[in-house]
Amino acid sequence: MKLPAFDYACPETLDEATALLAEAGGDAKVIAGGQSLLPFMAFRLAAPSLLVDLRKIAGLDGIEVADGEIRLGAMVRWRDILDSAALARALPLLPAAIGHVAHYQIRNRGTLGGSLAHADPASEFPCIAVLCGASVDVVGAGGHRTIPADELIAGPMETTLEDDEIIVAVRFPRWPEGRRWAFDEFALRHGDLAIAAVAAAYDMDGPHIAHARVAVMGATDTPQRVPPAEDALNGRAPDDDTFGAAAAAASAAIEPTEDLHAGAAYRRALVGTLLRRALAESCAREREAAE
Amino acid sequence: MEITLTVNGRAQALELDPRTTLLDALRDHLQLTGTKKGCDHGQCGACTILLNGRRINACLTLAAMHEADEIATIEGLAPPDDPGALQAAFLHHDGFQCGYCTPGQIVSATGMLEEARAGWPSHVSPNLEAEVALDRSEVAERMSGNLCRCAAYTGIVEAILETAEQERDVEPREAAE
Amino acid sequence: MTVAKPLPHDAAMRHVTGEARYVDDIPVPAGTLHLAFGLSQIASGRWTEMDLDAVRAAPGVVAVITAADLPGHNDVSPAPTFHEELLSSHEIHYAGQPLFLVVADSHLAARKAARLAQVTAEETEPVLTIEQALARDWRFEEGPRVYGRGDPEAAIAGAAHLVDGSIEIGGQEHFYLEGQAALALPQEGGDMVVHSSSQHPTEIQHKVAEALAVPMNAVRVEVRRMGGGFGGKESQGNALACACAVAARLTGRPCKMRYDRDDDFVITGKRHDFRIDYRAGVDDEGRILGLIFEQFCRCGWSQDLSLPVADRAMLHADNAYWLPAVRIVSHRLRTNTQSATAFRGFGGPQGMLGIERVMDHVAHALGRDPLEVRRTNFYAARAEAAQGGQPPVGPFRAASPRSISAKMRGEEGAAADPSLDLTSRGAAQAVAPQPAPRSEVPGSTTPYGQVVEDFILPDMVARLVESSDYRARRAAIAEWNAAEPICKRGIALTPVKFGISFTLTHLNQAGALVHVYTDGSIHMNHGGTEMGQGLFQKVAQVAADRFGVEVERVKITATDTGKVPNTSATAASSGSDLNGMAVKAACDEIRDRLATFVAERQQADPATVRFEGGRVHVGAQSYPFEDVARDAWMARISLSATGFYRTPKVEWDRIRGQGRPFYYFAYGVAVTEAAIDTLTGENRLLRADILHDCGTSLNPALDLGQIEGGYIQGTGWLTMEELVWDTRGRLRTHAPSTYKIPACSDAPPVFNVALWDGRNREETIYRSKAVGEPPLMLGISALMALSDAVAACGGPGAPYPALDAPATPERVLAAVERVRSA
Repeated sequence: MKLPAFDYACPETLDEATALLAEAGGDAKVIAGGQSLLPFMAFRLAAPSLLVDLRKIAGLDGIEVADGEIRLGAMVRWRDILDSAALARALPLLPAAIGHVAHYQIRNRGTLGGSLAHADPASEFPCIAVLCGASVDVVGAGGHRTIPADELIAGPMETTLEDDEIIVAVRFPRWPEGRRWAFDEFALRHGDLAIAAVAAAYDMDGPHIAHARVAVMGATDTPQRVPPAEDALNGRAPDDDTFGAAAAAASAAIEPTEDLHAGAAYRRALVGTLLRRALAESCAREREAAE
Repeated sequence: MEITLTVNGRAQALELDPRTTLLDALRDHLQLTGTKKGCDHGQCGACTILLNGRRINACLTLAAMHEADEIATIEGLAPPDDPGALQAAFLHHDGFQCGYCTPGQIVSATGMLEEARAGWPSHVSPNLEAEVALDRSEVAERMSGNLCRCAAYTGIVEAILETAEQERDVEPREAAE
Repeated sequence: MTVAKPLPHDAAMRHVTGEARYVDDIPVPAGTLHLAFGLSQIASGRWTEMDLDAVRAAPGVVAVITAADLPGHNDVSPAPTFHEELLSSHEIHYAGQPLFLVVADSHLAARKAARLAQVTAEETEPVLTIEQALARDWRFEEGPRVYGRGDPEAAIAGAAHLVDGSIEIGGQEHFYLEGQAALALPQEGGDMVVHSSSQHPTEIQHKVAEALAVPMNAVRVEVRRMGGGFGGKESQGNALACACAVAARLTGRPCKMRYDRDDDFVITGKRHDFRIDYRAGVDDEGRILGLIFEQFCRCGWSQDLSLPVADRAMLHADNAYWLPAVRIVSHRLRTNTQSATAFRGFGGPQGMLGIERVMDHVAHALGRDPLEVRRTNFYAARAEAAQGGQPPVGPFRAASPRSISAKMRGEEGAAADPSLDLTSRGAAQAVAPQPAPRSEVPGSTTPYGQVVEDFILPDMVARLVESSDYRARRAAIAEWNAAEPICKRGIALTPVKFGISFTLTHLNQAGALVHVYTDGSIHMNHGGTEMGQGLFQKVAQVAADRFGVEVERVKITATDTGKVPNTSATAASSGSDLNGMAVKAACDEIRDRLATFVAERQQADPATVRFEGGRVHVGAQSYPFEDVARDAWMARISLSATGFYRTPKVEWDRIRGQGRPFYYFAYGVAVTEAAIDTLTGENRLLRADILHDCGTSLNPALDLGQIEGGYIQGTGWLTMEELVWDTRGRLRTHAPSTYKIPACSDAPPVFNVALWDGRNREETIYRSKAVGEPPLMLGISALMALSDAVAACGGPGAPYPALDAPATPERVLAAVERVRSA
């Protein structure tokens, strides 16, 4: 692979790492798994003068499922998410979505912090973080702050991170008992980048849907919630008509991207189809669990 | 920069440009040319190696990042004149044509069998919590990161299935002993 | 007997241990330099100024070479009538064209430096599409080529039904896993040794000699193996080899070049994309009475191999069907894109897809079963076809697991015809001579005048219809489709009849060199190259069989222009046919000498000497082969021979479109079942059943691999592999992340492949048939199955799906909507 010239540093503390980044003044990049950054650099879409490797920094790789929240360290790899039984119980939507990430070799290396910082509109993790209202903890030379996931993602391949900031963890609020979820993705081959994907979560308030969240990725230039689709769900029974209305609302609301893999009209149609199916699946899952 | 890589159980000191990918370090600096460069973009799997037992694409990582790691390549799986069970199965099932993807397929399958033993479910596994039973569709899905342009996939899948079956047959006996 | 055995590839052990070396794996001498091309960013125009100072000044750069610096011809074209510059002297023909060459001390340095050039160019409007090329009448040859017979217009006018339409067929990137590579090693006296990943070492030698302005005898080219070729290494390696040789000459140091994958995509040619318009007049049964094809072939910027590719597309416009009145018009259009080149099937697949589309469309228009329409139109099966060959005794099934070792134990399929004693002297000649030229039998002559003499497809189709349970599944699919609104299924059976021989008659020749050493070991060399198809092993089996020894005794050596000269490309599926025969001739020459020697010693008739089981048998005596070799040497008998073969019977006038371009035809049939999601267009292959004709297979294991791999590569071409250029002529799909080839999970989960147990009626090597290209076209059944599934979405009177290729999800969805909206 043809990479531009750079120096390589492997600090042992966050302080050292942020100091290195601050010193480089925007010319440095953090490297974790490298699965997005290295191809990006090979295509000359990024040309940092310094790579700061996080591998020696302790405390970035934990999965903690606590009462109030779920905390995932930035160096947690896809493989770790898929391996975690606790996560599968507490936030089943996440491993379901991560099961669509690339191929196995890449899942063994790629990290969630890297995925967030890369902000690829076709990446699953940022979409789930946005949908779930996750908080992203970052540390910079001047201290730490917390950024809501939807505010972290500024555009395609663009975040609101400062040059010296490093993502250290992502925190998801715990789900209430009985929350239902949905995820579906369309790619040319399983493991390829999503042409379109949808995620949803909702609670049941008696016979009616409440607290619905719907998000779209791959089809739009950022992962994003789709409020009209959420409105079409809230207060209604979880049936075909409701799901169809939500799907239609999502299709109508988004501004699909167009590229060599798919046209905008096709992506718009896919989003509706995927959402309707995923929502139906969320009910079917409940029925199965009940049996 | 100076770096020591431990490849196939042997630690070797190298003087490398920090840009050097692990793949280029293996091929150009350690003369381990069994690991192939197919696409150099992490999409074809020809450069699959084992990093601390896990399969990864050597083209998608920097040599500099692996000072402390155990790296295994096709050359380290078995002595050249005495192939392992998986290698023998690839021979018997004609799991290749041009052979260029073959080292990556075999190393990837080695890692895959380990993942299945560890109970890592795949996208097509019916149940995420149950023990992984490798069948044709499981193997095909789990090997989808290794392209074979000759499309020797039938033989590749059969070779892996046969190896998995042999392991299943052997393990209970070992447990009983 | 070592032929007809399912032995693994020659270097199988080296492949599974990672020891097998490809060009990029060859240890290079210290001081080896690495090359990279600087490429044109525009598709059309001329460069006026190239400022290369920054390139020269870049770290690690040793030299920068432009067209003006070249010591010999600036031409890497495989077509003698067309000039294709190695480095542009001013004209720019496509985005990706090499403009200059960087020579540096590392691959990385060369690549980085190449980007520093400042090129000033006058850009002109590129010609990119078939329509644009037609509008500009920009083409190769003076006008369209036309083959045909009869008066198709009148036949169409008089027919009960007219079926017309058009199909667009995309190109295909070879995506050999091993990219193009070459290594040039300068020798004393200005000689050059070149290692190349090439299907055509002689061509490399020829072009390198011209580039260096030296005679061909000053250049030696060696090819041990390729990591896949598929036609993409027939001419596309010329540029790298010439670049290396020129740089090695100018610097005096070894030079190596390997395209990075994205460069490989952008620089090299691909399969020709086509549009085929058709107009068919048919009767009530769907029988074709008159047919006009207009084939529009997008050749890219240079002629390369486009003329024979387009010819072959015309020669397969009939596939398996009798066309009483037909015209095939072929436009060879020029565009400002990569020069399309050879790709497995060489135009045949596109031509064949045209007529299969017509069959499918006719069946839909008439509401008839597509299989019956195909059968109705088949060439006449000739009675003597079965008599002349072996009566089919049933295919052997590829049992699962498909173990070579099981087959080596003779448990399945290994047995060839027992009446054919391959080890006896002259057995291959002991076949009834062919009858004199046959008279015309109605319905058995191709549009180009070649009689289809062994039309076995009706029997093969009957067998596969039965073994694949085609009828019951078709009925079940109809039921499923009636009940299921969203997921629709389809099934299709398509046949393959593929002509075997180079259509350029003089290429149908091959040479071999065989040595027997005094310890009885054998050194074999021939002009064919190994790219995974198993040629080396097959030919080694022939050599071992001729001497009656185990195949392990035969050393397979790299293809080398210094050992066997003036070879043809390993292409046109001809590798085993040609080189097997040449090796056989060389072996038989030595064997005859040994037999004569042994017979004289024993005062026996040389014709009674047999070579079997590692021994030479004469009368009641037998001697170890190595003893005979040693004794013969002591008696001053030469143990080395060359062999030569030229294919008989072929003659062809490509301008008139008449003659016998093919020695014989290879056949196959496939049934594919597929499913589509009518809301996303997602599609999957559910099952494939294949019956394929390899004659008497030289090696059933290798042949099965070719059939499975060819089928999947064909389905990739027609269902997922999509090349996209932007409006400036830049290829957008230039990496595996954007260009999708079939992965393991794309193979159909049920995949039954069997060999038709026949034998070639022609005197080919052990009566086998070529198998490299024909199976690719079995993949056409996948596109037709998808078309069948789309058609199931329409009610009565719905339009024909008219699915173009590749049938990507987006295209399938559009077709579904078209069918449903009517």
